Amino acid sequence: MMGDKLLFENVSKVYGEGDNKVIALDDISLNVRAGEFVAIVGPSGSGKSTFLSIAGALLSPSKGRLLLNGEDITTLSPKELTRVRLEKIGFVFQSSNLVPYLSVRDQLLLLSELIGKRDKTTVKKADELLSHLGLGHRADHLPEALSGGERQRVAIARSLMNDPEIILADEPTASLDSKRGRDVVEMLAHEVKSRNKAAIMVTHDERMLDLCDRVVNITDGKVFG
Amino acid sequence: MMFLAIRELKHSKLRYLLIGLIMVLVALLVFIISGLANGLSSDNASSIQNMKADYFVMEHDSKNKLNRSIISMEKLDEIQAISDVKAAEGLGQMMITLNKIGSSEKTDVTIFATDASGILAPKVIEGTSYDNKKQGEVVADRSLKEVGYKLGDSLKDDLSGKVLTIVGFTEKQSYSHTPAVYMNVKGWQEINPGLKNQGKDSISAIAVQLDSKSEENVRESLPEGVTLISKEESLQSIPGFKEEQGTLTMMIAFLFVIAAFVLAVFFYVITLQKTNQFGVLKALGANTGYLAKSIVGQVMLLAVTCIAISVALTYGVTLIMPEGMPFELSADLVIKYSVLLLAVSVLGSLLSLYRVAKIDAIEAIGRVS
Repeated sequence: MMGDKLLFENVSKVYGEGDNKVIALDDISLNVRAGEFVAIVGPSGSGKSTFLSIAGALLSPSKGRLLLNGEDITTLSPKELTRVRLEKIGFVFQSSNLVPYLSVRDQLLLLSELIGKRDKTTVKKADELLSHLGLGHRADHLPEALSGGERQRVAIARSLMNDPEIILADEPTASLDSKRGRDVVEMLAHEVKSRNKAAIMVTHDERMLDLCDRVVNITDGKVFG
Repeated sequence: MMFLAIRELKHSKLRYLLIGLIMVLVALLVFIISGLANGLSSDNASSIQNMKADYFVMEHDSKNKLNRSIISMEKLDEIQAISDVKAAEGLGQMMITLNKIGSSEKTDVTIFATDASGILAPKVIEGTSYDNKKQGEVVADRSLKEVGYKLGDSLKDDLSGKVLTIVGFTEKQSYSHTPAVYMNVKGWQEINPGLKNQGKDSISAIAVQLDSKSEENVRESLPEGVTLISKEESLQSIPGFKEEQGTLTMMIAFLFVIAAFVLAVFFYVITLQKTNQFGVLKALGANTGYLAKSIVGQVMLLAVTCIAISVALTYGVTLIMPEGMPFELSADLVIKYSVLLLAVSVLGSLLSLYRVAKIDAIEAIGRVS
């Protein structure tokens, strides 16, 4: 279907073999369209992390297909998957995971560096992104000088730097208080809408769900809702 | 490639400064010890090293030691007659103590006796060469001049009572850590107590020039009672030479191993510390190759800087070394050891590269840093 950014087709993930077999994801089908912000909720051990790892091209499914912007990425080599992550997927991790020795601007430029085109235009783009997210005055600071909320905003800016198809957020509010957490998720939702990206956020913070277009519940590897 | 490497070096200055300091000290020690090894080797054997001979013919039972070998002069003609021998020259050797006349100063020297116009004659840099006919004329190594001897000075050999006069100076002539003094064969036979009493026309050894290809032919054509040894073998049998060089060479070898291990452990620990960070970078789309280049770039940058500082310091140290210190460091050797140090540094980083290659990008998910 047109507008489908991410499509899970009967995806299963099984760890181990025989008696030790653990079914982390069981025949999941799901689609996320452009401009859609989907929340994934579920108890610990429900398969949320496995789901996000597969969506993020970090893990291959045992069965089923995964289409990113219409392209089947389940058949790609690890090297090609690295390229897909770099160009098509934006990540926002728990507690941001910024590189400690890079200035805020360099955090963004690292993505351009990795893709192989770091020049004046990318510096301009990084500065625009930062001022757009209210971080213009922080461009030359190191992560250690930033507050938790600011760090997550930098992580959002970083995830947008290479203009990805989809943004994946792994518990982005885990280390923030509810006020700041809400600000960050609002900002993420706003960027997703205005840029017409797709986004998936794994969270167990119920108070953020009203900011999402759709809430998907994963329990014991199965999808509800 | 150096985007991460340089920014991290700048950020963690203290950490890299400390490891850099260790590298500088290790490299400095490598250069100083190798300079010393070289200097001592010259001090011990430059006479032999600089001699225009490839092989020596010595008495069979001399155990390759010049001072034990005695060959009758007639053998020289026999050796010269062997077809593969390009040139041959008699050499007398003996260690004596000289007394400066008119003072109580004594000096140990090594006497070399050879034809003043032959292939072994020393290059005179001041004064004239000794006369083959005249008794008591000698050409001494410059190091004697440096301790106060002059042209025309007379020196008395304690044992034989003969008086020797310095008529010229040569350079880079030293044997068993004593200055070499050259004279004619007749004069040498006069001061050699053993030969003098027997009245025989003998020498210590015969130096020969020949192609290494014809070594076997010459060996088979040798007269009875003598043996052919290479210059290298004769160096090894100079008293203390092998032991001295062996010790220093072992120290240098250990320093290389230490340099490799110190760097390997340092970068490995840092890499372990950054496991989570590398996981995140891989998740963001950095491939192992990029991260590996970044680490190797860091190691090379650090190593090159440290080696350059060490080389500068080494030359600084030579300036304040006391006069007469046996220290010789050629540019060749500095370059050789610098390249070797750089190579072991990179070798030391391989362990970290292996570690980085094993880090899985998935570690970035579901984890609090």
